[in-house]
Amino acid sequence: MTGEDPGPLIRLYGLTGGRARPQGETFDLVAIVVTVAGSHEFADLIPEHRAVLSLCRRPTPVADVAAHLRLPLNITRVILGDLRREGLVTIERPRPVAQTIDERIYREVLHGLRSL
Amino acid sequence: MGYAASEPGTTAVAPALAIKILIAGGFGVGKTTMVGTISEIRPLHTEELLSERGVGVDDLSGVESKTTTTVALDFGRITIRDGLWLYLFGTPGQDRFWFMWDELALGALGAVVLADTRRLQECFPAVDYFEQRGIPFVVAVNCFDGARRYEPAKVRRALGLSETTPIVLCDVRRRDSVKEVLTTLVTYAVEGARPPAGRR
Repeated sequence: MTGEDPGPLIRLYGLTGGRARPQGETFDLVAIVVTVAGSHEFADLIPEHRAVLSLCRRPTPVADVAAHLRLPLNITRVILGDLRREGLVTIERPRPVAQTIDERIYREVLHGLRSL
Repeated sequence: MGYAASEPGTTAVAPALAIKILIAGGFGVGKTTMVGTISEIRPLHTEELLSERGVGVDDLSGVESKTTTTVALDFGRITIRDGLWLYLFGTPGQDRFWFMWDELALGALGAVVLADTRRLQECFPAVDYFEQRGIPFVVAVNCFDGARRYEPAKVRRALGLSETTPIVLCDVRRRDSVKEVLTTLVTYAVEGARPPAGRR
C-alpha cells in the first residue's frame, strides 16, 4: 500500500506535466471514452496516448482505461483530459443514474445478472 | 435529457452505459472477495496517489520529496451486453480514505454494505454515509464460517435500518449468493427511483 520509491512518481510527473487534475469538465470513473475516428493515426504521440486511442476505438469506461494503462486513476484522467482537449477522444458527460436506467435497461440488467 | 442520445462522432446505435455499484463495509469484511466472485475479469486494481495526510494529491510537483501513499481501488466488471456494463467498486475500507467515497458515490446506482456479524459496528459509517446522501443500499450479511447466524430482524435493529432497506444473508465466496445480493440491490434501487405513479 505504501510506496517510498520516488521513481514511478517522477515518471508520472513527466506524463502529466505535474498536474493531478484533468483540464475541462470533470468526468466520472465510469464515463465512456471514445476515440474520435481517424485520430489513432497520429504518429507523434507518447505511448500512453496511443494506447488510449487504440483501446477506446471501442467505447471504454475511464476505470478500464486506467487498469489497461496500469496507471493511477487521477493520472489517467489527466491524460484523458489532454486527449479530449486535443479533440482526439470524446468523454460522455456524467448523467444522473436514474435517468439512464429505463425499463428496458433494468430488465436487461436483471436478466443478465440472473443468467451469469 | 437530450444528451442521453449517442454522442456525435460515434457509430454506436445505443449509447454505451456503465452502471456503478459500490461495495462498502469495514476493513477485511470481504469486499474484494465479493467483487472477485462475480466479476468476469480478475478484479482490476488501480491506485490513487495520496499525500502523507491522506488527501488526494493536487499537484505532483515536488511530490518526489514527500511521503506518498497509494490507496488501492479494486473493481470488477460484469458485461450485460456489448455497451452495457455493471462496475463494482470496492470502497477503501479505512476511514482516512473517506474523501474518495464522494467521487465513487456520485452517480452510483446503489451500494452493498457488507456486514460481519462479529463486528457489526464497523459498517455503521457506511450505513450513515449512504443514508445521508439518499443512495439506495442493501445490507449483505456475510456469513463467515463459524460466524453466529443473526436473524435479519436483529441486524435491522442493531443497525437502525428502515423497514424498507433490504437485508440479505450471503456468502461472498458463492456466485449464486452474490448474484442474489446484486439483483436485490438493482431491484430496490430502480423500483425506489420510480415516481409513485399508481400503487404497485
